[in-house]
Amino acid sequence: MLGVALFSGIWYSIAGWRPGYSTHEIWMFPLFSALPIGLIMGDVPGAMVIGCAISMMYVGMVAPGSEMPADMSLAGLIGIPIALSIGADTGTAIAIAVPFGVLGVFLNQIRRIINAKFAHMADKHALKGDIKGINRCAMWYPLIMNLVTKFPFAFIGVYFGSAVIEKLLAILPEWILNGLSVAGGVMPAIGFAVLIGILSERKSIFPFFFLGFFLVQFFGVSSIAAACFGVPIAVIIVLMQKDSQDEIMVQVKAASKVDDDDE
Amino acid sequence: MSETKTSSKITIKDLWNTFWRWWLACEMSNSYESMQSIAYCFAMIPVLKKLYPDKEAFVEALQRHLVFFNTEGICGNVILGMSVAMEEEKAEDGVLTGDAIVALKSALMGPVAGIGDTITWGTVKPLIFTIALTASADGSVIGWFLMLLFVPVTVVYGWYLMSLGYKVGKNALVKLLESGWVNRIILGASILGLFMVGALSASIVTLNLSGTYMSAGAEVTYQSIVDGIMPGVLPLCAIMGIYGYIKKKGQNFGVMILVIIAAAMVLSLLGIV
Repeated sequence: MLGVALFSGIWYSIAGWRPGYSTHEIWMFPLFSALPIGLIMGDVPGAMVIGCAISMMYVGMVAPGSEMPADMSLAGLIGIPIALSIGADTGTAIAIAVPFGVLGVFLNQIRRIINAKFAHMADKHALKGDIKGINRCAMWYPLIMNLVTKFPFAFIGVYFGSAVIEKLLAILPEWILNGLSVAGGVMPAIGFAVLIGILSERKSIFPFFFLGFFLVQFFGVSSIAAACFGVPIAVIIVLMQKDSQDEIMVQVKAASKVDDDDE
Repeated sequence: MSETKTSSKITIKDLWNTFWRWWLACEMSNSYESMQSIAYCFAMIPVLKKLYPDKEAFVEALQRHLVFFNTEGICGNVILGMSVAMEEEKAEDGVLTGDAIVALKSALMGPVAGIGDTITWGTVKPLIFTIALTASADGSVIGWFLMLLFVPVTVVYGWYLMSLGYKVGKNALVKLLESGWVNRIILGASILGLFMVGALSASIVTLNLSGTYMSAGAEVTYQSIVDGIMPGVLPLCAIMGIYGYIKKKGQNFGVMILVIIAAAMVLSLLGIV
């Protein structure tokens, strides 16, 4: 477990550092860390299956104002190695990952509190025109801070976690594990609810949510198949709206032309 | 201010430099106090250094870009492009004030974040990530590579917006909005996004009743009754319940997650789920 524990510690620090916009979401996504974990532990397909199950909880999650609802990075980096090492099924893997996802939120709040200190330092460097100082505040201090604050949690979690969790799984009553697993099934609803809020600024398009929802519930189509229906629907509506606007413009122009002729 | 003519000092290379610096460092130094302020300044440094050889003006420019800033990082490129154009204009003839540049940044970061959240995080990300998950659910590594598509896709339209912002300067957003296409793209993205969120939540959010009862000598699950009436009604209630809570009480994620875990535990103890 030492190798994978070291890996998780370093990966968690880098993911917490967030290099590259939009790419930072990939660094944190459990599916992404599943492949290297699988390679280290010698079971790539197993790691991918568990990584997918844990990722499902967080796929709809957005971070409004960068405030994360749950830390999918820590959930994956501890959940996947432990579930793989004790041979847990996906339901149990989710039950293991959920608590770490909650714990990670506090670590990220600490990160953004400490980052404020670097912002003050950058202000001072700016007064002196010290570019190198600003560069350090923008990149290197946050990296060091992430290594110090994040590495230990993921490392200890993986290195000692699997023995502790294996014992816990034996002691804990079935209903607790089932409860965590059920909670894991409902958790993605948070992300989706936030997304609905972002996307339905225009109230009139709200029903498209139900259209997609029941298309899958009744006919069980895949997400790619759903996208094949969704894209044309969106295009039709946009183009039809454009057509009717153009038509109105034509009529307005025609009307004004008639007026001109009358004169 | 130096008297030498500085027109079109900014090359495509400088713009590219600004782009990748912003892309790389955007979230690294994010803090509660000033959000992406250091990242913005960090991205502007090469341009500012070129435009202001005079130290005093350079320091002033650095401070201008160290103020509170927060937006969606990909569509936010349009703001960076505009402020590069404005800094160039200011360095050239000195008519434009620094306050005007700061004011533009603060005025645009909110609306741009709204557009960016809809397009990048509301539509593009869930679409690519879920397709990746579907491809890897059976243990295949194909999904892993599909997920990486998110980077080139966002870089392409991020760079487009950066060069657009620079070319059209401070009128970029007005011009974009007037053309009507931005509104159409947002409408289309919102419709597709909502449709996909519906489809994805139907396959990903799970909530099932676990109890059974005997009927005519056969064991029947309560869930099968629910499915017979309307499949997926329980996950739908969970999503709508959380949506209603967020609308009323705001995004109190810690509370929501703890309530979900507690409720699931209690229902599990009672043997309902």
